[in-house]
Amino acid sequence: MSEKDFAVPQKRHMGLKASKIISNTSIHILLAVISVIWLIPFVCILLQSFRVESTYQVGYVIPKQWGFDNYANLLKTDFPRWYLNTLIVALCAAVFQTFIVLCMSYALSRFRFKMRKPLMRFMLILGMFPGMLTMIILYRVLADLGMTQANAVPGLILVYIASSGMGYYVSKGFFDTIPKSLDEAARVDGATRLQVLFKIILPLSKPIVIYTILTAFMGPWGDYVFAQYVSFGTSAGKNVAVGMYGWLTNDQINKFYTSFCAGGVMVALPVTVLFMFLQKYYVEGVTGGAVKG
Amino acid sequence: MASVKLTGVKKIYDNKVVAVHDFDLEIADKEFVVFVGPSGCGKSTTLRMIAGLEEISEGTLEIDGEVVNDLQPKDRNIAMVFQNYALYPHMTVYDNIAFSLRLQHRPEDEVYEKVTNAAEILGITEYLMRKPRALSGGQRQRVAIGRAMVRNAKVFLMDEPLSNLDAKLRNQMRAEIILLRQKLNTTFIYVTHDQTEAMTLGDRIVIMQDGFIEQVGTPTEVFEMPSNLFVAEFIGAPKMNIIKTRLECKNGAYYVTPFGVRIPVTGEKAEALKEKGIGTQDILLGVRPEHITLADPDCESAIPCTLEVNEMMGSELHLHVYTADESRLIVRVPTIDLSAATRRELVYGKALQITFDSKVMHFFDPETKKNLLL
Repeated sequence: MSEKDFAVPQKRHMGLKASKIISNTSIHILLAVISVIWLIPFVCILLQSFRVESTYQVGYVIPKQWGFDNYANLLKTDFPRWYLNTLIVALCAAVFQTFIVLCMSYALSRFRFKMRKPLMRFMLILGMFPGMLTMIILYRVLADLGMTQANAVPGLILVYIASSGMGYYVSKGFFDTIPKSLDEAARVDGATRLQVLFKIILPLSKPIVIYTILTAFMGPWGDYVFAQYVSFGTSAGKNVAVGMYGWLTNDQINKFYTSFCAGGVMVALPVTVLFMFLQKYYVEGVTGGAVKG
Repeated sequence: MASVKLTGVKKIYDNKVVAVHDFDLEIADKEFVVFVGPSGCGKSTTLRMIAGLEEISEGTLEIDGEVVNDLQPKDRNIAMVFQNYALYPHMTVYDNIAFSLRLQHRPEDEVYEKVTNAAEILGITEYLMRKPRALSGGQRQRVAIGRAMVRNAKVFLMDEPLSNLDAKLRNQMRAEIILLRQKLNTTFIYVTHDQTEAMTLGDRIVIMQDGFIEQVGTPTEVFEMPSNLFVAEFIGAPKMNIIKTRLECKNGAYYVTPFGVRIPVTGEKAEALKEKGIGTQDILLGVRPEHITLADPDCESAIPCTLEVNEMMGSELHLHVYTADESRLIVRVPTIDLSAATRRELVYGKALQITFDSKVMHFFDPETKKNLLL
């Protein structure tokens, strides 16, 4: 074989390699640009939260004087109360909602009972209606129960966990991929249904458990509309989103702008930390349940 | 160790499909019973009903004299090995085997002793700290058996435990199950679709079809005296040849006329036919491939046929032949009985003569498909 025989495939090979490098580089440049654009507001808020020379809005980003005054000032406002309210609601919702969703998903994945499929379809269709539609009636119910305004926290917890069973779809899809013979083997080995769930199914479903906890936590943590609707007229029942929104009115913004930025950082902090630690599982959870289910 | 008794056990699914019909069977203490049948015959469903994984629609199930219909699997004192191993993937081999003992809150010393003991018997001691995904198919199946062993259960259930293994490993594990049975000395119920496993493992075989028991008997009984055409064809490989023919009875002498060739029925078979009062009638004649021999052309009862396919199995040849009326038959000939020259001649289109003796014949009613001698 002459050298010429190799020339064409080699040229093709080089061409493929070069086009791969070009396409990879352009994708990375594009992603880097998108990331920078996406990060700009966050960086601005972070920098503004350390600005101590003035509290009003200014036309520059990098502070002239740096300090933690804005964070200290937060303690002089109702911010700690709002933060605690939000934390209580989000944690309670995360715990109860996760428990309910996982039990519901396990039951729908493993038990065969009459009306199972109609029930699943019914919940799927019900979930398609926007939550806003129920706000008026939910407010009436909460008002009758005395769970609005200053007592909004238990009311909000109740609302967030009440319909959580409907979010069974992703985790049920994940459970469906775990062979039923594992349940059966465990039951023959002497386990109860609850032991099967906690000792076999959940350890095998770590990504989906973490996904469920995170989504259950995130909902109430960033909620504004419903919290505003229930906790109006009093500072005691507000969450951070509702409370801090009050600082953005025309007469307040110049007094609280930098505090608002510091509060924003405080709100983002736990979620960012959670995501950094659980990111791997979160992505696995979303794709694992969706694709296999 | 316990006896198992099924009385009129029925499985009816919600969609009214009946998977198992009136299943009656008594399994003695320490007996090894094999349920065998084609896919969908209800054998696994029956086993799962015994395990408590399927509800019993009708009838009663007794283990050691106690009705257990409404007991949970964990309360039936049974152990089960699944077809797909069903090992807990997040646990080590040790934890897998120890799982049931820990659920019973046994002291850790006892757990250690039992797990290591089982691992030693099964030859998996060196893998105890591995996760199931790091094991081969055979090792996984050993772990599954180990998990069942440590429970000291009254009844040992096995649902097609070897069907996921390759042929070589399956033979090895089959021998190991026979040894294990001797060591454990307990009641075994084993489900398989492989008649070789059924024949080699079982004290008794239960042959099932479409949810019904077709025959219960020892391997020798079901092989030598199949109760009906289904059993006759299911047990034995290659399957029994069935020939539509006529049984003639003249002056107390019986003979059959397959493909126009007259073969006399003598000895025990003739006695049995006489005893049953069977006269001249159409029959389905069953002859196993290993009971047909190649005949000389001058043999009186030689059936002429033509070779279609010659399968070389090593120790034997499977000759697929067709007769003048296009009926297909299979003949099993030990390689050692044939000279090298004869073997070379056995090619497509070769004219052959075959014959068989009356003592290997099985007679079935063409209507009921039942064995005429039972």
